[in-house]
Amino acid sequence: MNLFKWARTKSPWIIHFNTGGCNGCDIELVAALTPRFDLERFGILLEGSPRHADMLAVTGPVTLQVKDRLVRIYEQMPEPKHVIAIGTCAISGAPFKECYNVYGGIDSVLPVDAYVPGCPPKPEAIIDGIAKLIQKIKE
Amino acid sequence: MEKENEIVEKLKNFLKRNLVRTTVPKERRIFVYIKKDALRHAVKYLAKDLKFKHLSTITGVDLGGEIEVIYHLAYKGSIVLSIRVTVSEKNPSVPTITDLIPGAVLYEREVHDLFGVKFEGHPDLSPLLLPEEWPQGVYPLRKEHELEHLREMTSKK
Amino acid sequence: MSHGSIIKVPFGPQHPALKEPENFLFEVDGEIVVDVKPRIGYNHRGIEKAFELRTYIQNIYLAERICGICSDAHTTCYTQAIEELLGVEAPPRARYIRVIIAELERIQSHALWVGIAAHEIGFDTLFMYVWRDRETVLDLFEMISGNRIHYAMNTIGGVRRDIHAAMVSKIKKGLDFLEKRLRYYLNAVQTEQTILKRAAGVGILKPKDAVDLCAVGPTSRASGIKNDVRADDPYAAYDEIPFHVIARDGCDVLTRILVRCEEMLESLEIISYALDRMPEGIVRVKAPVKVPQGEVVSRVEAPRGELIHYAKSNGTTKPERYKVRSPTLGNIPALCKMLLGGYVADIPIVLAGIDPCFACMDRMAFVDVKKNKEWNWTMQQLRRKYAKK
Repeated sequence: MNLFKWARTKSPWIIHFNTGGCNGCDIELVAALTPRFDLERFGILLEGSPRHADMLAVTGPVTLQVKDRLVRIYEQMPEPKHVIAIGTCAISGAPFKECYNVYGGIDSVLPVDAYVPGCPPKPEAIIDGIAKLIQKIKE
Repeated sequence: MEKENEIVEKLKNFLKRNLVRTTVPKERRIFVYIKKDALRHAVKYLAKDLKFKHLSTITGVDLGGEIEVIYHLAYKGSIVLSIRVTVSEKNPSVPTITDLIPGAVLYEREVHDLFGVKFEGHPDLSPLLLPEEWPQGVYPLRKEHELEHLREMTSKK
Repeated sequence: MSHGSIIKVPFGPQHPALKEPENFLFEVDGEIVVDVKPRIGYNHRGIEKAFELRTYIQNIYLAERICGICSDAHTTCYTQAIEELLGVEAPPRARYIRVIIAELERIQSHALWVGIAAHEIGFDTLFMYVWRDRETVLDLFEMISGNRIHYAMNTIGGVRRDIHAAMVSKIKKGLDFLEKRLRYYLNAVQTEQTILKRAAGVGILKPKDAVDLCAVGPTSRASGIKNDVRADDPYAAYDEIPFHVIARDGCDVLTRILVRCEEMLESLEIISYALDRMPEGIVRVKAPVKVPQGEVVSRVEAPRGELIHYAKSNGTTKPERYKVRSPTLGNIPALCKMLLGGYVADIPIVLAGIDPCFACMDRMAFVDVKKNKEWNWTMQQLRRKYAKK
């Protein structure tokens, strides 16, 4: 097996970005880091710079202001890279579909590899989504 | 509702013909409609004399042809007095109250962004909420702009 | 801002021609902040317009999602407003449940914030402990409402679910646990050198400025201003429940931390009192879908401060106008005042001190007025630069 691929699937480094949501998904993602759920024991690290990240975890319905920055962060990530959309807003923008300043759904802007539904999804669901994506990468 | 009625009486005496209408729908709520030219006069009196020092926010409302600007002031955090003026849609402008109540600074900017009301004398009416690329002269909370119309404009970006 | 030629110094990989949405523009002279200009469009979604396009029932769920941390404050404020327009009163039991949920939310929000503040100070152990303890509140929410966040308890006419007798003992157990933990944190915050050094004397907001700039919530109460909507303009069942408004006059970030810790303890008392004295009866009444013409101002004390909604109805099933002013916006002018004349290194902790929605506060632009340099930083970059200090 490709050593590089093995190293990546063992411990993905995730960069988290909020595109204008209510912060509900963000706090459940941060909660996933806390001792009760402990994302880090899976070797998953929340990383600050896109340059070192394998996965982009995005929340929110993509406001107009934020779209360029979202795309830029994605472009700065090295290949191979993956995107996980967390929460109903990130999937379809649903609660904000009548809002004029919102694109609605991450996949209107970036290619998405995994979707974690929920409003917000519980930390367990987020971890499950990330784990499933890791599986998918392994294959 | 003694205190509320007392306040209404004081306002009536102070503003005289500039006071168009008042309502006291329940305790701790007063609604006042005044002539636009008396705005600063009234706000100064309310803030300095009647101790309505706290401005909770400023609301804009599109009445169709006219825009209403409502200032929500609170007395000791308790009684909320909503004082309103109307301006024409064609040339919507009111004097600023930021020198009387510095806390008004962002609320005026917000109403400017969303309704196009100019607050004369405001130190900086640059956009607060809308993106840089937002088309000039398009005030999203005006009724004339339907959602699909706004989306079309912004998707051209 | 007047300069000769401005040299943009891009920080990090970004195309110089692309404009970024900053939330604050700082003018600095070396290490001192000389001016602060807010531009907070990052999170602007256009919710007020959306309110006009949705029915009153649908809008409950939109109001909830204005903010994930204080969603109940928004729905309480919203349902109150519509009930007033309809001339409908939530039953007494519902009003007590509203208080219980609101106070649980206050604890959850303040605890979340204490963790974030600890993280800003570099005290990650405290962050982990507090967030672990906060899970107790989230478990209670899940038990009562089915969800940890966005509990959707409020509806027009009351609340959607009851707090049954069986739940009460579990809630009380949770409260007992929390009381021990919160007392521990209150003590830690007053004695831990790390916190005292970084938060004492920082981000000063004088009482006169708090009033002139119309600050709200714990931010203003930490400058001695004793305003609290629960006491001044009571709603739900607050007029029947005795409690203390917590105000201290330290005027700095440390005081803001203390006020929030004490408020959490006070919330425990309020919940306990409400559980013991909750009246029997139904928890909701039916409400018509068409709302007669009218207008109303509704206020609640959200965890971050005074939340105000203005509603105008026109006889249909959808609002004519719905205005929301969140407490964070109310504190931004005060925040700018606190930052002026302060150190660049203190920016993260002072920003955190007003308990802002963190999405709004992420991006900052800097201009050095003497050196004619401009650059952008994220909060993380700023923290990293000053981490050793």
